[in-house]
Amino acid sequence: MEPALSAGDWIVVSELSRPPRVGEIVLVRDPRDPENLMLKRVTAVYDGRCTVLGDRPEESTDSRTFGPVPVQNVVARALFRYAPIGRIGWLW
Amino acid sequence: MFWTNLLKPRITASAHCDLPCGVYDPEQARIEAESCYKIIEKYNASNDEQFKTRAIVIKEERAELAKHHIDVLWSDYFKPEHVQKYPEITELCWKAAKQCSKVKGSLDLGDARTLLDMIDKIADVWTKAGGPQATRVQKAAAARA
Repeated sequence: MEPALSAGDWIVVSELSRPPRVGEIVLVRDPRDPENLMLKRVTAVYDGRCTVLGDRPEESTDSRTFGPVPVQNVVARALFRYAPIGRIGWLW
Repeated sequence: MFWTNLLKPRITASAHCDLPCGVYDPEQARIEAESCYKIIEKYNASNDEQFKTRAIVIKEERAELAKHHIDVLWSDYFKPEHVQKYPEITELCWKAAKQCSKVKGSLDLGDARTLLDMIDKIADVWTKAGGPQATRVQKAAAARA
């Protein structure tokens, strides 16, 4: 998810009570392994499913590999990065 | 307690996953399946109990590897656009993976033959989907000759 998110970033997420929106970075359960939580960007939402992609397509495992994800798998939306200090800021 | 411990995130999420090398070829699965085929042939031709035991162990390993290579093709190489164009690929990979499990526990040459045929069908789709050009590093002309 570079450059939006880097390894080791500490972020705050907010649980979603509405369907995810295109452009949001979301915390989503991997449909292949629900234990695995991923951060991806929503690129399309339709028929109760959403397509999530990494910002770096050449290095990302995302909906191009595992297909659209049921919206129920979307747990939360990324809001704010609070560490490292130099990169503090909103994620939306 | 340091303030960093208080602020430390409670859950960890991955944002980049893996870095696929991008090289995919059903031949990898086929070579393992050919090993299973030949091992069954050798098993049936042998009277050496120790050899036969080893043959079974190695065949199970090879069948598991064939299954792994089919799974990698299915989950990493074939993309939604391939499935749209060649919808049969889902069932082909699924059945071939199941056939690997069958070969694992079988000493019937026919089962190993069926697996080879299934992998060849996957290879046909892989070729139609542009796999050889898209995924393999081409050999130098001199090496091909």
